[in-house]
This record gives sequence, structure tokens and C-alpha cells, in this order.
Amino acid sequence: MSTTIKLYGAKQSTCSQTVKVVAYEKGLNVDIIPCNFAVAEHKSAAWLEIQPFGQVPYLDEDGFKLYESRAMSRYLATKYADQGTQLLPDLTDLKAMALADQFMSVEASNFYPYTSGIAKEAIFAPMFGGKTNPEALEKHRSDLKAKLEGFERIFAKQDYLGGKEVGLADLYCLSMGVLAEKVFSDIFDDPAKPNVAR
Amino acid sequence: MSESQSILKLYGTDRSTCCQRVKVVAYEKELDLSLEAVDMMGKEHKQDAYLAKQPFGQIPYLDDNGFTLFQSRAICRYIAMKYPNQGTKLLPDASDIKAVSIFEQAINIEQADFDPNASGLTMQKLFLPKRGGKTDEEQLKKHVDGLRMKLDGFERILSKHKYLSGDEISLADLFALPYGTKVEICYPDFFHDSSRPNVRRWWDAISNLIMNLDYQNLLRDLDPVQCTLAPPNRDNCTI
Repeated sequence: MSTTIKLYGAKQSTCSQTVKVVAYEKGLNVDIIPCNFAVAEHKSAAWLEIQPFGQVPYLDEDGFKLYESRAMSRYLATKYADQGTQLLPDLTDLKAMALADQFMSVEASNFYPYTSGIAKEAIFAPMFGGKTNPEALEKHRSDLKAKLEGFERIFAKQDYLGGKEVGLADLYCLSMGVLAEKVFSDIFDDPAKPNVAR
Repeated sequence: MSESQSILKLYGTDRSTCCQRVKVVAYEKELDLSLEAVDMMGKEHKQDAYLAKQPFGQIPYLDDNGFTLFQSRAICRYIAMKYPNQGTKLLPDASDIKAVSIFEQAINIEQADFDPNASGLTMQKLFLPKRGGKTDEEQLKKHVDGLRMKLDGFERILSKHKYLSGDEISLADLFALPYGTKVEICYPDFFHDSSRPNVRRWWDAISNLIMNLDYQNLLRDLDPVQCTLAPPNRDNCTI
């Protein structure tokens, strides 16, 4: 029986969703405790004590607190390595871990900036009373398209970023990737990149 | 310097910020790194042979006796993990899951909360003009203001312990050095703001690590002999 993990965040926050997806794959219970944005709870002194950048989410498991969605995800994948889907290689396998780190870094630098840029311009800006900047949006889209050529080369050689099986790096792509697809429905469906589509 | 290390070849260029990141870590780990120059002007990094090793056509990549790895932070993690017992300890004990998680948190802080604005600022203020382009003042301001705000978060963290992941230095602190040094070239007092005394203390501690003059000059993109800004490398693919 696993402990219940408390995630202080928001259902609709992509970072909260990343942690939820990982927890789901590991067969873990997660309670989402919503941050009260109406009173800017995430900017309160109490919150900043735990998450110094005033962001969501943070995790609390039996008093152990952690933030940064990828760090939280990696913690769950490591601590619960023996249950659910295996999302990391054997931690003592130097080369396998290096490749896992490589592809997790790929997601952070070659995927996320562009998918989150798309989401920010096309979804979040209007949602929060701002305006989409069409030039910025188009730049993110064309930059992402160029980066997907790199992903195409990777997926021509392996099934997932995690290798033969899904790994953390693949799951990290999901929450912002899904939003980017909502904006540009064919972004991952380019006939020139069949392996990305697969 | 270790006599028992394997030959580590780093394919890149001297002045690439991401190559500097690997060099700083290799220096701290007392490892010999052999820099293999990539012909950026000749678009070597866009050729099929290169793309087979680094599918995004970027520098650097590492070749350790045929095992190839790209993404500078992954390369740094690999060499720190492979040689845990020499040079500075830069990783927590793998058996201490909480320490490991706080370390991962710090690693992510550098990549998500420092790098985007630090590298964006450097691109606008330093790289673009050097390459004959024009600074986008609005973008520059966004990055400057954004980085200042993030440093408020760093101040909170560093008021509780000496370095990003605790009282010992780790890879997370070193990862910030190359772009941090360039931010300091653009704005000499950026990390010395009186409202952030702990950021100042941390920045002085990590930037003083690289006492070797050649390394200081390398990180500051200075010609070690002439101590001036090096001529622009127009095809510098620093990602």
C-alpha cells in the first residue's frame, strides 16, 4: 500500500499534469490540493517558504517537500522503481542512465521551450486577458518543426526517448505536447516525419 | 589529473558556452578532455556523419571510447558519475534518495529558472551584435527583468544553504557558470545587487572556483593572450 502523495497545484497546470501522469504510471495515489490563485496563495510567504519561485506545483510526501515537476517525477520514478511502469533504467547502469539523462535534457531544451511557447501565445495569453502575438507564435511553430527533424532521426533508431520502452523523457513531452497539438493539429503528424507521428 | 581515465573526446568549439560547461566540470573532476574542433563555418555539424551522433546538429557531443553522448548537462552528469572519487564531489550519494531529489530539484532550477533568461539575455546583448545582428531591446528587457525576478527565488534558496542543493557545491551550481559569466560581462553588477546578498555570496564562491586564468578567460570569451573579446564566430551554434 502506498502513501498518499499530496500535490499542491492545479488540475489544469501542465506541470501538475506531468507529475500526475508519472504517478499514474507508477500506480500511486495523488491528491491534488488546489492552490488558491484568487488570493495569490502561490505568492504568499508560506508558499514561498516551500516553493521559492512562487510557482505550482510542489509535492509533499509525509512531510518531504519537493518542487520542479521533473524533479518530482524523477523522485517518484526512483523511489517507486519496483512498482508500475519502469520509467528509468537501473540507476547503477552508467551508460543507460547517461542516455536517459540525455533524452530528458533533450525534452527540456529541444521540445519544451517551443511547445510551451505555442501554448503561452495561443492558449494562456488570451486566457489571462492578454493577446496572442502572431509573429512569436509562428516562430515557435517553425522552430518546433525544425527540432522535430532531430526527433525524427532519434525515432528512426529507437521506439521511444526512453529506448525500447516509454521513459520519463517521453512522459515529460506529454502535457505541453498535447496543448501544442490543440493549437496546430498536424504538428506531430507531418508525412515527412513518420517516426515522430508513430 | 588521473592516469586511469579513458580518453574523453569532446566535439565542439573552444568558445561554445555548452562546451565550456563540460570543460568546467572536467576541470573540477581533474579529467583530461580532448577538444576535437568541429568546422562550424564549413557546416560540418549539419552533415549526415555528424547528425548520426548529434541528431539536432548542435555542439557538443562526447565520445568516450565509442560511447557517444550529447546535451552538455547529460555529458557532465556522465563524467561526474563515472569518476565519483576524483576531483570535487559534484553528485550526492545515490543511496540517499532525499539528497538525490533535492539535487535533481537544483538541476531543474538551473535549467528552467536560470538558463532561459541568462542565455536569452546573452544572445541579445552579446552574441547578436558580435555576429552583425541587432539587439531586440524589448526581448532583452524581458530577459533582464525575468532573470532578476528568478534571482529573488535564488536568494530565498541561498539564504537557507550555501549552494543550490545544500551546503556542498554540486553540478547544478557549475551549470550556471558559463552563461552566468556572460551575463556578468554584459552587466557587471548583476549578481552583486545589494538586495540579494546570498546570490552575491554564491556567485562569488562559484566564479572564484575557476582560479586558473586560462579558464577564467575562456569562460569570459576572452583571448587569453590579448585579453580582449575574441573575433566573432558567426556560425557559433551555442544551444
